[in-house]
Amino acid sequence: MSAATLENTTVLGALDAEAPVSTERFLTFSSNGLNIGVSTNYVIEIITNHSITMLPLVPDYVKGIINLRGQIIPIIDIRLRMGKPSIDYTSSTCIIVLNIDSVQIGIVVDAVQQVMDIDQSQISPVPVENQQELINGMVSSGDRSVILFLDCEQLVQTY
Amino acid sequence: MDNMLEMYLYETNTLLEQLDELLIEAEKNRDFTTNDVNEIFRSMHTIKGSSAMMEFSTLMEIAHHIEDLFFYIRENGLDSMDESHKNDLFNLMFQSTDALRSEVEKIENDEPLSTNIDPIIANINSFLQKISGSESSSSENTNADEKQAESGDTIQPAGEQQIALINQELAGCPSSKLPYFIRIHFEQGSGMEHLRAFMTVTALNDLDLQFEYYPDDVETNSDTIETIVDNGFFIALSSQEDVTRAVNVIKEQNSVETFEVIENASVKQEEKKPAAQQSQAPSEKTSEPVSKQNSEPSSKQKADPAPQAAHNNTPVKQSLISVNLSKLDSLVAIVGEIVITESMVTSSPDLQNLKLDNFTKSARQLRKLTDDLQDIAMSLRMVSVSGTFQKMNRIVRDMKKKLNKDVRLTIIGENTEVDKTIVDSIGDPIMHIVRNSMDHGIEEKVEDRIAAGKDPQGEIILSAAHTGSEVIISISDDGQGMDPDKILAKAERNGILTKPASEYSQKEILALLMLPGFSTNEEVTEFSGRGVGMDVVKKNVESVGGTITITSELGKGSCTTLKIPLTMAIADGMEVSVGNSMFTIPIANIRQSFKPEKDEVLLDAGGNEIIKCLNEFYPIIRVHDLFNIETEITNIEDGILIWVEAADKSYCLFVDELLGEQQVVVKPLPPFLSNFNIKNSGISGCTILGDGDISLILDIRSLYAAFYNQY
Repeated sequence: MSAATLENTTVLGALDAEAPVSTERFLTFSSNGLNIGVSTNYVIEIITNHSITMLPLVPDYVKGIINLRGQIIPIIDIRLRMGKPSIDYTSSTCIIVLNIDSVQIGIVVDAVQQVMDIDQSQISPVPVENQQELINGMVSSGDRSVILFLDCEQLVQTY
Repeated sequence: MDNMLEMYLYETNTLLEQLDELLIEAEKNRDFTTNDVNEIFRSMHTIKGSSAMMEFSTLMEIAHHIEDLFFYIRENGLDSMDESHKNDLFNLMFQSTDALRSEVEKIENDEPLSTNIDPIIANINSFLQKISGSESSSSENTNADEKQAESGDTIQPAGEQQIALINQELAGCPSSKLPYFIRIHFEQGSGMEHLRAFMTVTALNDLDLQFEYYPDDVETNSDTIETIVDNGFFIALSSQEDVTRAVNVIKEQNSVETFEVIENASVKQEEKKPAAQQSQAPSEKTSEPVSKQNSEPSSKQKADPAPQAAHNNTPVKQSLISVNLSKLDSLVAIVGEIVITESMVTSSPDLQNLKLDNFTKSARQLRKLTDDLQDIAMSLRMVSVSGTFQKMNRIVRDMKKKLNKDVRLTIIGENTEVDKTIVDSIGDPIMHIVRNSMDHGIEEKVEDRIAAGKDPQGEIILSAAHTGSEVIISISDDGQGMDPDKILAKAERNGILTKPASEYSQKEILALLMLPGFSTNEEVTEFSGRGVGMDVVKKNVESVGGTITITSELGKGSCTTLKIPLTMAIADGMEVSVGNSMFTIPIANIRQSFKPEKDEVLLDAGGNEIIKCLNEFYPIIRVHDLFNIETEITNIEDGILIWVEAADKSYCLFVDELLGEQQVVVKPLPPFLSNFNIKNSGISGCTILGDGDISLILDIRSLYAAFYNQY
């Protein structure tokens, strides 16, 4: 799916060379009342109801690891990672498995919403005074809501 | 390009290793055999060719000069050198192969090649001059010719006389000691017969045959065309078998019109018994070889080093292919999954209480097959330790010279097979121990050995053997052994004693050797004694899950034993549960498990729980406390204690329940988690259980450290 998207964008870009309208497809999810988008280029799959094996002596946002068809994937809770309070997992809670520069990681989100095409030129940087960790851009969609963009590289950054 | 480089490195390294073995062997016999000379010549030729192709000019230069040298030796026979020359030659060859190896290492590490190789080349040249100086001028003349031929120069410098001589000989039949000739006639009017002849020679070279050919300057001398047209091109061979092989190659050559095999019963008898006569006139093919011949011979050599190498290997090696290790790893991983999935399917809860005769039968068959598959997949990663062991020959040889000690290295069980990663990681430790034995173990003076009633020649025994799931490698010497008092005194000076010196047992004293910062020798030598010795060795061995022990008897020698698991991919583990979590403790670390009585548990000065096992006190680590796991079992009598031991650490783990012993496929934790220093929190990896759940594998050593860092 992600490969096809890539191809679409490049084809589009090639056609409208003088007016580059490059759209990218984003998966949006909600976490602590925020709408957050992540490029589908990174998304591998969405899973629900997976049992997480906890790991000892790690920060609280690292929920543990899961066995996804033989692969061991670390799971982090995006709420805790952004410094928000955690909530109990419900039926809508799910794990989005991402592949960021060949690092696989799963993020726990409150719920997934939709996949939408967003014109990259409309993405604006986050105002300095409202800087939020892990967010590297925002766009306002029609119904007065705002979509924030997840900075995936920062997510897997090594310290 | 990367692929080519990989091939090149693999090939060159293999050749250099073979060369080293050959040199060591030859030096033992104090002489080269003709075979050795040919082998070296061929290896150098291949290295030269492939280095030129990869544009590694320094490597090419060195190889080229060695090749020249051995060309000379091959032409003039080994008898032309006296004992001291041979000795020099050995040293020179070791130097040169070292130079080649260090250059190859530079390529591997992506460093620029050294530009100053003049000293080594000057060495080779001066040696060549030295051995050729005593020869008559005529042989030097041919030598010059051959050199010219090597450099692919097309101007002909050969003395007219010589050609005349050869021509004369050819009018009858060439004079040669070899019993068989093959006479080849090329198609009439095909042109450039001398190059066609040379191509035939090159093709025969690939066959690894002993042969001579006349006229012998076909590569460079276009005047030989006439001779070849008139008399044919002669190849002299030593046996009927070689003739058959050569004939097969000659048949393949383009534009060969006829050829015949002549027996050289006496020089006069010509063409008496044409054992085989065949005509081959593929006239439609003639256009192709012309274009081939136009290219310089040297470039042809460059183009085919790979097949040549393959030829070189065939007689000695089994048919081998090289496979990327990562592919094997993924194969092993998938096989591991299959084994687990198989048990998931056959022991599925849905099947319980059903009577399924056919299913059970098939399931049993499947289990057998998956077990076989797993065995094979595991054996793919197994390589014999001989490569690592053979390298020690070289080290012993070098140190023997430097330290002036007479020592022989005996290798036992070099065909023992171990996982590839383990072989890679035990190379350095073994080398270190061998060096230590050479340097400190074997007596300085021969008189000391004789006085002690030992063989004047020292012996180091390197042995490997299997015992079930472990391989035991021991390095023993019959030297002076270790003096416990000296070790103790030294350790005291270095301040690494933790209790009064008098309380140390022999075993504990020897264990001191492996503490960081301990080096028994007062002087730092080139080979050992940098104080990074045995503790690094110990760390390396432990990093592959092995253990190391030293035994020594003063005056009789010492022995270092490494016990290493055959593979790291599969381990025997004990499954334990703590709360809802499951953990795997490597069986190798477990000494005992037992239910404690409440009043057995005492508190030490720091308020930590300790318990007495076999008259010693050991700390208790409660896993649920350490890892913050919620569990109902906190009362020491409800759970179970597992007495574990790793390296020098020994303690008891408190867990809820033992679940059972199991073979587990070890999986590394995702690299992302190394951000959180997970390796230091007592978890070395994880494994997937039959039901798909994950169990964390405890690292007994780092768990202890994690426990003490908490407080």
